[in-house]
Amino acid sequence: MRNCIILLTFLLFVLAFVAPGRAEIIAVKAGRILTISGEPVENGVILIEDGKIAEIGVGIEIPEGAAVIDAGKSVVMPGLVDASAAAPVRGDLNEQSNEITPTLRISDALDPQSKALKRIVQTGVTTLFVSPGRRNVIGGLGVVVKPTGKIPQQMILKDEAALRVVMDLDSTQGNRIPRYQVPTDFYYRRPGTRMAIIWMLRKSFFDAQQQKDSEQTEDPNLAVLSAVLKDEIPIHVNARRAIVIRAALKVADEYGLKLILQECTEGYKVAGQLAERKIPVVLGPFYYYPGSMGQYREGRKVNWNNAGILSKAGVKVALASGEQAGAIDILTAAIFAVRHGMDRDEALKAITITPAEILGVADRVGSLEKGKDADIVVLSGDPLNVTTRVEKVILNGKTVYKID
Amino acid sequence: MKSRSHITFISILLTACVLNALAHAAPVRRKLAVKAGRIITIAGKDVKNGVILIKDGVIKAVGKEVEIPWDAFVIEAKDRVVMPGFVLAHTSSGLDRANENMPEVPFISTFDSIDPISTFFEDSLRDGVVTMLVLPGNNTLLGGTGTIVKPYGRTVEAMLIKRYTGLKISLRPSQNTSRMGHMQRFRRYMSDLKDYLEDYEQKKADAEEEKKPFDEEIDVTKQPMVDLLNKRLTAFVYCDRAADVSKAIEIKNTHKLDTVLVLGPDCYKAVGLIARSKLPVILDSQLVVWETNEQTNEEEMKIIPMIFHKAGVKFAFQIDTSQYGRRYLWYQAATAVKYGMKRQEALKSITLYPAQFIGVDDRLGSIEAGKEATLIFLTGDPLDAQSWVDQVMVAGEIVYERAKDERLKKLLEPPLIMQEPKDTD
Repeated sequence: MRNCIILLTFLLFVLAFVAPGRAEIIAVKAGRILTISGEPVENGVILIEDGKIAEIGVGIEIPEGAAVIDAGKSVVMPGLVDASAAAPVRGDLNEQSNEITPTLRISDALDPQSKALKRIVQTGVTTLFVSPGRRNVIGGLGVVVKPTGKIPQQMILKDEAALRVVMDLDSTQGNRIPRYQVPTDFYYRRPGTRMAIIWMLRKSFFDAQQQKDSEQTEDPNLAVLSAVLKDEIPIHVNARRAIVIRAALKVADEYGLKLILQECTEGYKVAGQLAERKIPVVLGPFYYYPGSMGQYREGRKVNWNNAGILSKAGVKVALASGEQAGAIDILTAAIFAVRHGMDRDEALKAITITPAEILGVADRVGSLEKGKDADIVVLSGDPLNVTTRVEKVILNGKTVYKID
Repeated sequence: MKSRSHITFISILLTACVLNALAHAAPVRRKLAVKAGRIITIAGKDVKNGVILIKDGVIKAVGKEVEIPWDAFVIEAKDRVVMPGFVLAHTSSGLDRANENMPEVPFISTFDSIDPISTFFEDSLRDGVVTMLVLPGNNTLLGGTGTIVKPYGRTVEAMLIKRYTGLKISLRPSQNTSRMGHMQRFRRYMSDLKDYLEDYEQKKADAEEEKKPFDEEIDVTKQPMVDLLNKRLTAFVYCDRAADVSKAIEIKNTHKLDTVLVLGPDCYKAVGLIARSKLPVILDSQLVVWETNEQTNEEEMKIIPMIFHKAGVKFAFQIDTSQYGRRYLWYQAATAVKYGMKRQEALKSITLYPAQFIGVDDRLGSIEAGKEATLIFLTGDPLDAQSWVDQVMVAGEIVYERAKDERLKKLLEPPLIMQEPKDTD
């Protein structure tokens, strides 16, 4: 009998602790739900349980005690995914002590209190990919994060998401005597030409290949590169001009690498080849003409409909902010992509499910489906309308931003 | 005799041919009637399925029930939205260099520096901006005078609407100088000018007393500043920071100047002061700024047009041609509408208000009888990003057609050879 009482008390205790956690059900009612994965749902309901989408559709019964977010006639869509965002890091993004630094992780430097994160979430972005800077040939490992959490571990959705490779001339830029400083040999060892960039890349992968066969991977750098060769880690390659893109394809062929191209300003020139090889692209930043003298000197040519031409050719296209904090938000990027000729649905996918797929997190984010994270953006109207405003952002089932 | 009549006949024939050819080369149609799906008049309510009657480049009548004369050439624009061309009240683009190195150069003019071939003007026409005041940049204290042009023509003379309009005064200190020194320089210039003018008046009075002819003219390098004091020129005062606003108002009050404020993004903090001054305002092209709330440590979006709109300030927008979105005046207006500004007011801020600020509202800025027929034909609503400027009419003449815009085609269409040769290895 006494045992029974003890057991009962114990059970009550357990229930008391568990029960409040279970009741966390939120229902979002909206005039129009753009699921992205399927047809839009009119006057639908999304049920959120424990930060995940439990149910989505029309005529779903809202359980008693659920917190209801009535978005009225608003339009609801999945939280946006920025596949190339400005890194929420204080200080420099470029480790200049070596030009081949595959083991560096940007996740070690994340700052959850970053202003950039607080800003980007207000533009509807709930998942972002960030990586080390552009000053290294092989810069290090990027990470997929959500703009939430107090410590970096809470932010991370997927670490070691991709290896950053920069084939544009950015990785030669640090190769000069710093102004007003004592010149040292230190700054003279970087590659100065495209020849050297490609040679360094080739050498790195060659070494990794040798190591891979010998089964003795003691060098951590080579371990990362071997993982790339084994397709365990994708590589993001910065390539703007068509000539650089072709060079990247060549190196990829030599080592059997799976590429994801970033920036890709002249991608429209090689759209057919990219489609044939099924190479996805992450576009951005966007500009009307080469903006600065450096861009003119580089010789890049802009086609406003780059995204449209690529997607029409069958290339997977993601629209991103291109690591520029002051750039247009990706919803605006999608609006202008459509203005310049991209298909409407493709443009919406290009800021949600496509980047999620490219980053390998499509099982968690990128569309509104049962079982996925409850990352939801509530908009005042059609997402491709300039006068539409982000009214509310829900991240993992919690409202993280709303307008007054 | 016979041969002579022959020659006369042939010459008459030739003249007729030449005249005929000339007539075809310049198809100036005296009477036009634009039948539009929707007319955004700005002056009043929108007109659906209306007619704009134009004679010699001037609007004669607008409305639904306008009778089209038998001899008018009809432009069918049933599926188009017609509105007055956008007006840009302040820009320093289209110049080879926007700033002079010396700080006090009120006597220079952008008229000498405007580059008609600049892509800025070509883009402006494409984007529906048909009138702009080109002023010197914001780096010089007394920067020089501005020029109002239309972005159409091969020479500055052909583009010209009004020369010698507005004088740029920048309150942002130039490099390596402080705000103290900058203001002191201004005060000294003005006091020197005052001495000079007193001197001049004295000489004039003396000459009159002695009944001598007086033919000394005012120093050309000082003339624009004298015109500024006489209100023949308007001061376009650039304020970089909020603190500069009070100085701009002080200058305006001290010297009794006609003033337009050209504001940097930070100046919204002086909105109360600006509202009380009742001065016209030209906003920076950056309409949304972020600020950290010091109490909550949260990042807050400041919507500049809304702050000014709520304070009752009349303003015009600027653009930044290198940036997505900000490149277009319609986008600036749409941004303001997005955050709560009334549509009609936002549309006025890109047409009528800037026209008023630069003093061309008697001719431009709205569709009304008596104004110039400078119109844009849009494929849809002006605030919709999917609308394009299809045609531009300047004073009754179609000067831009999207269908013939080869450059735009090149920027939007895939290159001819999509598939490049593959590597053969």
